[in-house]
Amino acid sequence: MTDLASTEPSNSRIPAAQQTRIAAFLISAHGFLARQLSLSLPARFDAAWHTELHAHAFRQAEIVSLLMRTTEWLPDMLLPWLTLTWEVAWQAPPPEGFPDAGIARLMDLAAFGHALHGAIRPATVFPDAPLTEPFVVALRRIEFESGRLIQAQMLVLKDQRFLSQRTLIVSAVERRHAQIQALWTEMLKSLGLTERQQ
Amino acid sequence: MPFLDHRDFQVRYELDGPVGAPCFVFVNGLTQYSELWEVYRKALVAKEFRVATFDLLGQGQSDKPALFVDQEDQVTILGMLIASLGKEPIFLSGISFGGVIALRYAIANNEKIAGLVAMSTFPELSPQLLLLGTAMRSGLVLGGTTYLQDLLLPMNVSDAWLGPVLDRLKAVKRQGWLTNDLYALQNLMESFLEFSPLTPKLGAIRVPTLILNGEYDFLTPRRLHDILRVNIPDSKMVIMPRAFHAFTLEKPALTADLHARFAVEVLAGTWHGGQSVMIAPDEPGGELIPFPAGYDHLRAIPTAPSAA
Repeated sequence: MTDLASTEPSNSRIPAAQQTRIAAFLISAHGFLARQLSLSLPARFDAAWHTELHAHAFRQAEIVSLLMRTTEWLPDMLLPWLTLTWEVAWQAPPPEGFPDAGIARLMDLAAFGHALHGAIRPATVFPDAPLTEPFVVALRRIEFESGRLIQAQMLVLKDQRFLSQRTLIVSAVERRHAQIQALWTEMLKSLGLTERQQ
Repeated sequence: MPFLDHRDFQVRYELDGPVGAPCFVFVNGLTQYSELWEVYRKALVAKEFRVATFDLLGQGQSDKPALFVDQEDQVTILGMLIASLGKEPIFLSGISFGGVIALRYAIANNEKIAGLVAMSTFPELSPQLLLLGTAMRSGLVLGGTTYLQDLLLPMNVSDAWLGPVLDRLKAVKRQGWLTNDLYALQNLMESFLEFSPLTPKLGAIRVPTLILNGEYDFLTPRRLHDILRVNIPDSKMVIMPRAFHAFTLEKPALTADLHARFAVEVLAGTWHGGQSVMIAPDEPGGELIPFPAGYDHLRAIPTAPSAA
């Protein structure tokens, strides 16, 4: 708590180049989810779960905003290309095999959210970094919130109503986990970093 | 780092000790990982045993299924590991969640093991355990792995262990925080949603069985271990003095010593379970003493057993 309450100016030990690329990745992924969820929001809520959807969309926007403000940005010549690669990856077509295109899109979106909140653990990239650094606190907060946000995805993906499509759903989630984990690991590797540094 | 392949998943394991020697296979508790058996590995290898440890699906360096983990998959993986060890005697040991997996394996594969060690575990979900498990799941969901660690640590070890490390708890919990993923832990917890009591099947375990229960274990209290003792014919329950649920972490030297002595007795044909109740010594090598006759081993105060 003492660390969190500190008003000392940031003297970051995390290089700005690392902050920039990590933040860009997370902004791209959470921004994609924010856009998708916002587009799904009806103007007027007539179902209880719309409230959850609303909260979820704005949590994603909060994460984007938080990263915009806590990151020590540095020009990165590779970023336009990397961002394009990531955005294209997020837009992958929904998995085939579902009897209904709407269900396929819903499951793919939930799978993406599950992977983003489950497979990515940003706080473990700098596990021992001091909590006096805004960027570090932001990563901790994103990881903490992810633990709660993933619950909404689990509710959808594990819903008994979709029991007959469980194999397809599991496959869709594993696909998004593999995709996001690979891009995240590759991005960290380009910075000489790994998740969960021991 | 070797791996076993199960369906699309990889399961990390480690194997040490002389080839051809009797082998201990350890099964982790919920938030554990293979490295936590290091003291056992060294102590038992020094006594000419082989030691196999592994991370369950969803733990440590093993793959973490995204949505569902079936306990049957864990039992199958344990079977694959045991099958890979050859024909030497196998002593299977599991703690807590891992104890359940070990019990399930032993029930179905009694002939494939020479002995079983069940530690801080349970054959059924008592109302207390069910509600504690539900509360832990809620804690995990609302407060993350850090909260679950904060909750479990003081529940599972003693003041004597916690006191000296109070000023470096972050370091103590660091590896567990790095290793455990929330969704994977949640999947492991939710694998109990369809759990059926093992009690009616315990009689299928005919091998010598050592049941270890911490004196102060209130997560899986003595009554749950006593169900094992009463239903497994060749069993012996040993109460670990001044120990809580995680005595494998707090008293590794003593617990490893009890494992070695158990295996030596079984292999020598001198083991006598007799569904007896004993008290472990405080230190490795000490004498086990019978629970005092005329007192109820299920009570915390010295009262005579009830007629019922």
